[in-house]
Amino acid sequence: MSGPGLLLDGVSAAYRGATVLHEVELSVARGELLVVLGPSGAGKSTVLRVVAGLEPVTAGRVHIAGRDVTAARPGLRNVSMVFQSYALFPHLTVAENIAFGLEVRDTPRAVAGERARAAAETVGCATLLDRRPGQLSGGERQRVALARALVREPDVFLLDEPLSNLDLGLRVEMRAELRTLHDRLGATMVHVTHDQTEALVLADRIAVLRAGRIEQVGTPEEIWHAPASTFVARFVGSPAMNLLPAGSVLPSGDAPPLPADEDLHVGFRPEATRLDDVEGAAASVDRVEVVGEDAYAYLTLANGGAVVARVPAARRPARGAPVRVGVRWADVHLFHVGSGRRYRPA
Amino acid sequence: MRPDTRSRRQLTLMLAPYLVGLVGLVLLPALITLALAFTEYDLLRPPTWVGLANVTALLDDPVFRVAAINSLVFAVVAVPLRLLIALGLALLLYRRAPGVGTARTAAVLPTAVPEIAYGLLWLWLLNPLYGPINQLLRTGGQNGLTALGRTPPQWLTDPTDARAAIIAMSLFTVGETFVVLLAARRALPRDVYEMAALEDATGWDVFRRVTLPLMAPVLGLLAVRDAIQSLHFTFVPAFVVTDGGPPPYATTYLSLFVYRNAFEYLRYGYAAAATLLMILLTVAAVLVQWRLIRRYRAFYRL
Repeated sequence: MSGPGLLLDGVSAAYRGATVLHEVELSVARGELLVVLGPSGAGKSTVLRVVAGLEPVTAGRVHIAGRDVTAARPGLRNVSMVFQSYALFPHLTVAENIAFGLEVRDTPRAVAGERARAAAETVGCATLLDRRPGQLSGGERQRVALARALVREPDVFLLDEPLSNLDLGLRVEMRAELRTLHDRLGATMVHVTHDQTEALVLADRIAVLRAGRIEQVGTPEEIWHAPASTFVARFVGSPAMNLLPAGSVLPSGDAPPLPADEDLHVGFRPEATRLDDVEGAAASVDRVEVVGEDAYAYLTLANGGAVVARVPAARRPARGAPVRVGVRWADVHLFHVGSGRRYRPA
Repeated sequence: MRPDTRSRRQLTLMLAPYLVGLVGLVLLPALITLALAFTEYDLLRPPTWVGLANVTALLDDPVFRVAAINSLVFAVVAVPLRLLIALGLALLLYRRAPGVGTARTAAVLPTAVPEIAYGLLWLWLLNPLYGPINQLLRTGGQNGLTALGRTPPQWLTDPTDARAAIIAMSLFTVGETFVVLLAARRALPRDVYEMAALEDATGWDVFRRVTLPLMAPVLGLLAVRDAIQSLHFTFVPAFVVTDGGPPPYATTYLSLFVYRNAFEYLRYGYAAAATLLMILLTVAAVLVQWRLIRRYRAFYRL
């Protein structure tokens, strides 16, 4: 057993003649939880489907646990998948649903039943074994789907937006449980989501996907603190990072070496934006949203640029009030104007 | 005028044509039939009340008994076969592929042919001498025998062969069932099939463990519907192709029995009583099927 748990080597895929994945390079270590993050239509699910063998690749190779499975049919790849809809059978009990894969693979019934029970205990749905999916809540169905995925001890778990059908409270709860489950099993997991918070909370590493290409792969800290492009910068974080032509605001503190011959964009998060900077850029407040302790002020700069600032709700500015927008160099991200890639001073 | 009174009046008005038709063409004749079942009536003299005499006579009538058994055998053999064929066609043709549209049309076409024309067509197909079916069966054989040296079926003169012929005729008019099953199969979620593929389920396993159970509610309803219908769609073939024979009553089904008594022997009361028993028989069959289906349907509250 050597090599990564999952390796996509220059994988391209097409759907109805249109390329939906462009030479994707992705390596997932054994026991790692990788989250594929991106907006809808970015090809996130296609990544999973290519790994599972449900979609063919048009180029590149797929390796699972050191085996080249590019040409193998789905049933021989030893992966299991949790579908967004859970894909449970209405006519089978929870126990039968969990044991489905074992039964199909001719596992003796007694063994299958025992392993189904063990899997159900792992995810905390052992009390539901005799029920049918129609009698379960969304969260319970989710658990059953997880139990079915792990009963076979696959090399890779593929989770296709498994939390998106749950309401917010349950989603937060299941998110934490999923992470705990991953740590306990030490399993290789690929989790697809469009929810940046989910990605930041769950992931060992995040792969940000945009229009079929990998925009950045990195730990949640790297994605957050050093976004590789304006796309990543604005996709992760809510409200999105402010992005302005350099010169719209004059950051304070020690400036990094800037290129003399190129225009840059400055990016800074709403939480790094200050409104009481005497030397800051003049702006007026268009709108203020109060969210509990925090308030988001939507501003227009004198030169026309739009900025969002997070401030304590108690010190929020009034609508129409003049403010001075400031930010520290330490909180500023610089991007090349043309490519949108992050500027790294030499 | 208050809006809900108004909308109720509009609703009544819009429903009226249907209700008038239902009452005039279905409900009233049904009630008259019910009443006639306890009379003797020949269209010439006014009906006379005979009580249960028609029913007791029917139960003693050997022809009625033969007709009832014929209908029952037909239903027991033809309904599952028709369902199986429609299901097979639906599973074969639910995908989009070149030529599938044509194949679907071909599967529905026999159902669209007028019944009498369909019957006359089969009269030709089944002809023992020049009918294409027996010509096909005789290929490779000698002296009018099949390749195995057997006499080809005498579709129109042998009782068993004739009953088989009527069943065979019914197996091609599964268009409606086919269309319903096609829609049902297309409505099944893709992900359960992908899940099965990830478990390396074989085609047979997928059919047995995924497709069949998921389609079971629809199949159950179609079986009930077809069982009710089966009492009707024996009529035209038996009337046009075999004329209720070979003699005496090999293909006399309940529907034909009722027709003969009413419109040929002018025994309207007797025919009405037979209709009544026919309906009771149908209700009994449906109740049995319904109980089976209900046990299954409880699972499908998603």
